[in-house]
Amino acid sequence: MKKTNIEWTKIPVGRRSFLQGASMLGLAGATGLGFSGNAFADGAVLKTRAYADMRSLDPAFSQGVPDEEIQAPIYNKLIQYKSGSEWGWQLDAAESIEQVDGTHINFTLKDNIGFTNGFGAMTAEDVKYSFERIIDDKLESSNKPDWSALDHVEVTGERTGTIVLKNAFQPLWSITLPYIAGNIVSKKAFESVGGKIDTTPVATSGPYMHKSWVPKQKTTLVRNPDWKGDPAAFDEIQIYPIDDEKASEIAYEANSIDFTRVSLDSLDRLKSSPPENTTVAEFPSLFYVWVGMNLSNPKLGNLKLRQAIQYAIDVPSIMQASYFGGAAPSTGIIAPGLSGHRDQSLTGIAANLEMAQKLMDESGESNVSLTIDILNKSTNVTTAQIIQANLAAIGISLEVRLHEGATFWNLGGNEDLELILNRFSMTPDPYYATSWFITEQAGVWNWERFGSEEFDKIHTDAQAESDPVKRNQMYQRAQDLMEESGAYKFITHEATPNIYRNTISPALRPDGLPLYRYFSKA
Amino acid sequence: MNKPAKNNSEIVEIFRHLIRDRLGLLGLIIVMLIIGSALFAPLIAPYDPVALNIPDRVQGPSFVHLLGTDQLGRDTFSRVIYGGRVALQVALPTIAGALFLGLVLGMIAGYGPKWLDNLILLFFDTVRSFPTVMFALAVVALVGPSLNTVIFVIMATSIPTYGRVVRTMTLSIKTSEFIMAERSLGASTFRIMSVHILPNVLGPLAVLAAMDIPTVVGLEAGLSFLGMGVKPPTPSWGSLLNDGYSLIRNTPWLIVAGGIPLILITLGFTFLGEALRDVVDPKLRGRGGAK
Repeated sequence: MKKTNIEWTKIPVGRRSFLQGASMLGLAGATGLGFSGNAFADGAVLKTRAYADMRSLDPAFSQGVPDEEIQAPIYNKLIQYKSGSEWGWQLDAAESIEQVDGTHINFTLKDNIGFTNGFGAMTAEDVKYSFERIIDDKLESSNKPDWSALDHVEVTGERTGTIVLKNAFQPLWSITLPYIAGNIVSKKAFESVGGKIDTTPVATSGPYMHKSWVPKQKTTLVRNPDWKGDPAAFDEIQIYPIDDEKASEIAYEANSIDFTRVSLDSLDRLKSSPPENTTVAEFPSLFYVWVGMNLSNPKLGNLKLRQAIQYAIDVPSIMQASYFGGAAPSTGIIAPGLSGHRDQSLTGIAANLEMAQKLMDESGESNVSLTIDILNKSTNVTTAQIIQANLAAIGISLEVRLHEGATFWNLGGNEDLELILNRFSMTPDPYYATSWFITEQAGVWNWERFGSEEFDKIHTDAQAESDPVKRNQMYQRAQDLMEESGAYKFITHEATPNIYRNTISPALRPDGLPLYRYFSKA
Repeated sequence: MNKPAKNNSEIVEIFRHLIRDRLGLLGLIIVMLIIGSALFAPLIAPYDPVALNIPDRVQGPSFVHLLGTDQLGRDTFSRVIYGGRVALQVALPTIAGALFLGLVLGMIAGYGPKWLDNLILLFFDTVRSFPTVMFALAVVALVGPSLNTVIFVIMATSIPTYGRVVRTMTLSIKTSEFIMAERSLGASTFRIMSVHILPNVLGPLAVLAAMDIPTVVGLEAGLSFLGMGVKPPTPSWGSLLNDGYSLIRNTPWLIVAGGIPLILITLGFTFLGEALRDVVDPKLRGRGGAK
């Protein structure tokens, strides 16, 4: 039987205070006095949707938003994103945190946070272990780029320490600390299971605990009874992986879920006649969608051919047919409003068939037959068919290959990939976007196997650049390099329309993504 | 010279029976219409079924587009007509292949030695033990979706259905007096199987095949609906349903357009199959025709 953790509690409980507490509880019960709904939730269950199934509960191997949506409520970070329309952070496990110079950040942990299953209080050693394991080459963490500037964490006391960076690292406060790589795990717990976990957490510390995961069906989180911070609002959070937004809309209307992102083509209808007791909210999105071309595939070895494809794709048609005019074309991987956003792309937004045909002729290629791998979602199928028609106009035959989520997200290691229609999540710093396209990520997240020394250098240098103008230019150049390689055609950043029941009060990032640990009842 | 004349008269008799049986006639008409529209699709369809016309997307029915347009502005009526081709492209070779293999294996099982019968039955039971859709999804996941994959999967899972019917009939016929007489006169096994058993099992098998066509078409549509059937942009009734499902709140016409031909083909082949069964089974003859 699992032990619940109590020994880390720092509140002294003497015989007298215990008796006083017990008397008060008894009095409250006898007189019918209740605690506020905030203090004791009334058995509420929050049912929500994730756009993909959970893949890992190990922060070192978390694979983006769907994993973080589960990890954020069950682990603590030094700081967490704040909900609202402006990007910002708030203290979480840290009682205080301060950047003393470009490379040193001092922190003090709160004294009331502990790990479940008897793994004790959260200490600075846990922070050190959590962050340093991600940069350990032996672990081969897929999230190493998030902590690429970390040198080490110095433990100065039981709950105090200093994060020491190799160089100034601008994304620290916007990405690293409040997102995936900032999750703090229990050193003792992880070491007891060999240093890493998969989908079963060994000890957690957040307001919710992981109860169960039924692959492709549901992840269930329950309230952590030992949590000493602001009380969790729900007894249970059920997260259903539903790839397709249409399916999740139906689930919402059938009262099966309380919160979901909806498709853009449903937005007008939902705004004009929303389901009963529902709020429709629109947010700009940071996601980026693009068509990638695998540079290591000999069929795509010809630069002119790749450029012909770039010029042939008609993004405005995709915006109309796939996104129902609800999203705007993108110029790169960095959304408007973020440092490094480009006002224009190099190959334009609308198709330039004359240029495409000219490049095709110059390529010397004929009877070109290619494939495009896509995640099986209605938006993607529509987009792929437009691209298919666009390429047919310059004599390229394109076969559309549909994949279910689990298959699609494992395609990265396949060297035979040709074209890919892909979509990545993003955080509010351009560093996060370029991280996945450096040479080291080839075959991991860099499915195009794009490799550029200049790009890698920009990625490294820009993280330390404190001059916003220079940093902006650096990321713009990085995207130019991606586009010049012929391996990318940028499509859109999409948009994030959400619907939710008026019985809940969602806590959302400025890009509309949920912060479940801060959700409450309305 | 007598044999062909007898065959002609049998065909005429079947037609007479179908004309007398109203539902059978309705089934025949529907089937002929579907087959005809599929065969002459280029002449009937007013538009190229894969040509995009994005400015005209998601339109309701009109004189310009009889069944409206989909999210890419493609004419839905043209896609329905061409979708019939895909349905028959899957159904006909699938049924023909399964029928042929089921016939051969069933006759061998029924007429051959006991150990061979047991072996073939084991094969049938093994194949049937896989739920068809799960088996299809597994194969598609391994080799990727395509028309040929769909045909292979449905054919493989249909063989036992025909094989078991043929085996049962063969077992019954092989103990008949006329077969024993043939055998005593020195007729070879091949002659007995081809001249006596085969003609007797073909009739019921044809009925079974006719009634199986809607099942096969429905299965193809189901796989295409799941994105595991024909690849985009090939029009199939299943992919029309999928598009329609995505846009059901914007334009219900797509799902109606994808659903109606599936209903029609099911009704048509079921009515036709039942009428044929009445003709083939002498005990039922006259009951159906007297309607």
